[in-house]
Amino acid sequence: MKVGVSNLRVKYAGAETLLFNKLSLHIKEGEKVLFLGPSGCGKSTLLQILSGLIPNAVPVPMKADEVAIPESSGVVFQDPDSQFCMPYVDEEIAFVLENCAVPQTEMKSFIHHYLMKVGLNFEDPHVEISSLSQGMKQRLAIASMLALEPEVIFLDEPTALLDPEGTSEVWKTIKQLNAKQTMIIVEHKIDEVIHFVDRIVLFDSEGKIIADADPESVFSFYKPKLKEYGIWYPGVWTDHKQDENLPAPYEKGQQLMSISQLQGYRGKSSKIEVSDVTAYEGEWIAVTGKNGAGKSSFLLSLMNVMKTSGTKRVRDKVLKTIKASREQLAFVFQNPEFQFITNSVYDELVYSLEMLEDKGVEKVRNWLEAYDLYHVKDLHPYQLSTGQKRRLSVGTAMFGTQPVLLLDEPTFGQDASNTFKLLALFEELRTEGMLIIMVTHDEMIVHNYATREWVIQEGKLIEDRKRERREKGERHAMDFTV
Amino acid sequence: MKRLKLSDILITIVVALVFGIIYKIWGPVYNIFKPFGLHIGDVIYGMWFIAGTVAVLLLRKPGVALLAETAAASGEFLVGSEYGLSVLLYGIVQGLGTELLFALFGYKRYTAFVAALGGIAAAVGSLVMDVAYGYVMDLALWNLLLLVGARLLGGFLIAGILAYYLVEALEKTGVTSLVRPASDKDYKALDQ
Amino acid sequence: MQWTLQYEETWLHRLNPAFKLIFFLSLFLILLFVHNPNVISNLTLVPLLLVLFATGHRRKVIVLLLIPFLILFFSSASSMMFFGQGTTTWWKWGIIHITEESFFRGLHIGFRALNFALLGLLFALTTRPVFLFYSLIQQLKVPPRFAYSFMAAVRILPVMVEEFQQLRAALLIRGVKKKKGLQRVTQSIMLYAVPLLSQSIRRAHRIAVAMEAKQFNNKERTYYYKQTYSKVDIYFVLYIMAGFGLAYWVGHTFPYFGITDVRN
Repeated sequence: MKVGVSNLRVKYAGAETLLFNKLSLHIKEGEKVLFLGPSGCGKSTLLQILSGLIPNAVPVPMKADEVAIPESSGVVFQDPDSQFCMPYVDEEIAFVLENCAVPQTEMKSFIHHYLMKVGLNFEDPHVEISSLSQGMKQRLAIASMLALEPEVIFLDEPTALLDPEGTSEVWKTIKQLNAKQTMIIVEHKIDEVIHFVDRIVLFDSEGKIIADADPESVFSFYKPKLKEYGIWYPGVWTDHKQDENLPAPYEKGQQLMSISQLQGYRGKSSKIEVSDVTAYEGEWIAVTGKNGAGKSSFLLSLMNVMKTSGTKRVRDKVLKTIKASREQLAFVFQNPEFQFITNSVYDELVYSLEMLEDKGVEKVRNWLEAYDLYHVKDLHPYQLSTGQKRRLSVGTAMFGTQPVLLLDEPTFGQDASNTFKLLALFEELRTEGMLIIMVTHDEMIVHNYATREWVIQEGKLIEDRKRERREKGERHAMDFTV
Repeated sequence: MKRLKLSDILITIVVALVFGIIYKIWGPVYNIFKPFGLHIGDVIYGMWFIAGTVAVLLLRKPGVALLAETAAASGEFLVGSEYGLSVLLYGIVQGLGTELLFALFGYKRYTAFVAALGGIAAAVGSLVMDVAYGYVMDLALWNLLLLVGARLLGGFLIAGILAYYLVEALEKTGVTSLVRPASDKDYKALDQ
Repeated sequence: MQWTLQYEETWLHRLNPAFKLIFFLSLFLILLFVHNPNVISNLTLVPLLLVLFATGHRRKVIVLLLIPFLILFFSSASSMMFFGQGTTTWWKWGIIHITEESFFRGLHIGFRALNFALLGLLFALTTRPVFLFYSLIQQLKVPPRFAYSFMAAVRILPVMVEEFQQLRAALLIRGVKKKKGLQRVTQSIMLYAVPLLSQSIRRAHRIAVAMEAKQFNNKERTYYYKQTYSKVDIYFVLYIMAGFGLAYWVGHTFPYFGITDVRN
């Protein structure tokens, strides 16, 4: 089965330039190929063209001398919450079997078969999909893709929206399949993929192929490019620490914030309980714990958005209302889009200024330039790239003189270069004396940046431990080279 | 005729269901306004037509207004509307009103003016249902006229003008590029 | 809608969903031709008994759901009572003019609205949407493209409720200045509707693409759930016929109200 394109030209509606111009690429049967490149270079678009989704399901203007698409293909997409159409696990796989006209009497055994393949062993597969973890949802997506018995498997950033645990869960599953099929993969986090693929195609930001070879060669000759493109390659943290001269020294400052007997409620049930803690200027506190443990509730209680009891104090100010909290704590939400309330990047910051009754419009320009957003100041916030959205959300929250910054998984789903840019920004604020409280699942961030860690489990702060920032050059367990 | 693609149908129904939930919440709101307001409360009745106009302004294809209003009513019904099955029939007729109005303009004009007419057409549809449904003609004449006036005004303001501005705001976010076809210019650029 | 409510399955859940829908629609039409307030008040009991005792839902949930119905009853009845035409004046004060005719007509409308409401609730409480849509495809030949889109859309709703809560918290934290009067209504619509709708539209688009990637098209297909008719459907028809017959007979034999046709 041959898959490929010759002389491909693609243009998104209204875009000024072509996404691909005269691109040719052919993939041999049974090959496992990884597409790499910076965000927005068109890797995912190319994957959808090769699977036939473009232009059949998604009409995008394109032309080519030849497009060879497989007779049958299966695709796994990145968002675990938007690739299912049925409410239950068994129904979702049944949906695929129905599409393939499998007789009803055989469906139950097929459902069992495909779920076993991805290690989802339910006694009764009539389980609500919404009750699964994100990693399990992606495995279900793999199972339903396998139910198509595809000749070619397409994986479109299947772990982009997963935490590290979910990521390795998904790659373990994929490796265990021992699939003979051709596989075409787009992925940014390549720690786990790199030993699995036979071939890497590297694109530049204009959508041109700059390398097409085995992983080892690409890795040794194009590492600077991988770094530039924000790819999570093995060893990226070691390089980052060299560049940034990490870890920066940490000196405990003055006492800044104190929490005592804090409880946050949703309705009548207590979602978070923190007895007595004190935090200091210049600290970077990582808040960790499982999904649903109460990390976000903790931040929301500090902001008084949830009903709370107990006291919270920043310096001599007691935080009793949302307004009081807002003046002391800058808050950055997990989903940046929900923080935007105007129609342009510029207006977002002006709005924040007005809330603080500060009329210094000159300030807006400086901020936009500092956050590398000045060239997009007239765009609607929703039209920004994910990295820009995140920076803007930090900007809108931080636009005052609050001494504390609360962050809810700010680096989630971001590529390496955006992540490092954000971390550098937070680090700068920290050295100026700001207190940073950050919910994160990323062990590497905790290792390298946190000065302290708060562990939350089942709605309680159960551990408060000091973290030593890692020494330069020290190697990490996850940091290996090919 | 442009046939509806799967994504058109799914987007229409999702948008409609959002409004379906609002429709359900709107029931108690309307019921509180109604007895005291001499039908002036019927101005807010226009909210119940908004799904049709919003969807057709968004997707700009035939059939969308009818589908959206029917789907919104089904959603309202399925979450246990106090109007029961009557909402389904009302939804279909109201959606038909909006649909016919946009058809009259050949599905070519999507201005605030046409949207407002679309809202009014849905209001007319709801009045037709009212006549069939319940003794409306037995109201005192002045009261009946008030009802008709308020209903049409509601259709004009909420399902027409408000819907238009809502879609305009959505356009600014760039989300409409998912549903609007590419222009010939984009296709021509491929040959250069 | 049953995506979170806990309930036990009863015989009403086993009715064929498409049949249930059509049957309820015809009951709706029949009710439009009942003009005797004595009969319609008795008829209310027919669905009420089922709602109270046969849906398998917890009593607390049922009572909570019934509260808006009382407001509805009063609100539906009142306009006609106060402003309807009639000749036998009972009370007149300013523009309010209650006559015997308008009073009973209002009462009748109230009862009818209650009947529709109860039938609707009965349907909603005893029908799983997925089965309804499968049944619509199999019994009523609704095109699968529409039915499956509905199922996919229903699945997104709980996600949107969650997003709504996050959005509310985010707006509280950013501190949106509330405008006054009518502007406040449009302000909140824009603040909530624009982000929620644009997220949902993008999500719907992604799901549609994923469905097509799973080879969902107009080919022949098989079905995981077969929706069929059963004896339960007959029992249900018998119950309704008996109930309606009894309501009609009692209404005519032992009338509570002096008026037997509200149209006059």
